[in-house]
Amino acid sequence: MTVNSFKKILVPLDGSTYSEKALKRACEFVDAFNSEIILIYVIEKSIPINLLDRKEYLGILRKFGTKILDKSKLTLSKKGISAKIFLKEGNIVNEIEKLAKKEKCDLVVVGNKGLGSVARFLLGSVSNKISQSSSCSVLIVK
Amino acid sequence: MAIKTKKILVPLDGSKNSLRGLDMAIHLARQSQGIVTALSVKTVPGIYAIHPLGFLDFNSMTEVKKLLADAKLRAAKKGIQLIGKAIAGDPGYDIARFANNSKNEIDLVVIGARGMGSAKEIFLGSVSNYVLHKSKKPVLVVK
Repeated sequence: MTVNSFKKILVPLDGSTYSEKALKRACEFVDAFNSEIILIYVIEKSIPINLLDRKEYLGILRKFGTKILDKSKLTLSKKGISAKIFLKEGNIVNEIEKLAKKEKCDLVVVGNKGLGSVARFLLGSVSNKISQSSSCSVLIVK
Repeated sequence: MAIKTKKILVPLDGSKNSLRGLDMAIHLARQSQGIVTALSVKTVPGIYAIHPLGFLDFNSMTEVKKLLADAKLRAAKKGIQLIGKAIAGDPGYDIARFANNSKNEIDLVVIGARGMGSAKEIFLGSVSNYVLHKSKKPVLVVK
């Protein structure tokens, strides 16, 4: 077969059920392609809310992020898959793309929506932006 | 194999990107021993879609059929069964409708990032974008 098999899979997490679904789907790919999994949680820094207790807010998010990453890593290790984990801060889409480029990922697996405040019934904003502008293939899990 | 994607839908329009999508779908189908369904939509400008004579445009339908035959050959070389479907209509809408139709039991849609549409954009093609938003099934965008 040609070169297009997925050796490195990036799974952005946000703690929603959709991202868990995406993780499950990524596991299937690992079984089939013997690929590596990279997990990322991005702390969003771009919203200027809570200017006063910003530090506290970020601290809570950081704690939440590490918790989710550890949990996901545990579920992966139960299946015998080792994963690299990353905790980044900044704009969600930018950080995901940067990491995808840096680690030379072949596939990004995202849920179709996440923790966005409005309950949308179509594609979430982050998933949309990733699918629009990422340089590698994208799997949208629904 | 753990991949449960038994039926994979690949929209084809003859562009390089859609062929890449086809290759990827064949690759995935090999892992799961699945079936690839190729869907080729002939664009019919709005009014002809409801005009009875719109379907009499045999000339370009053969073009579509040839595309599907090529795809079939490509899949057969890799030992994958491919079912070709040719439809006349609006590409985005019909692909999404085909994918969502529970009768077809599609598990995954594999689509090229952009097809025949306009200039070489950096971004997603309009049809891919439409399918991405409207399909209720997982979508794999191949770049």
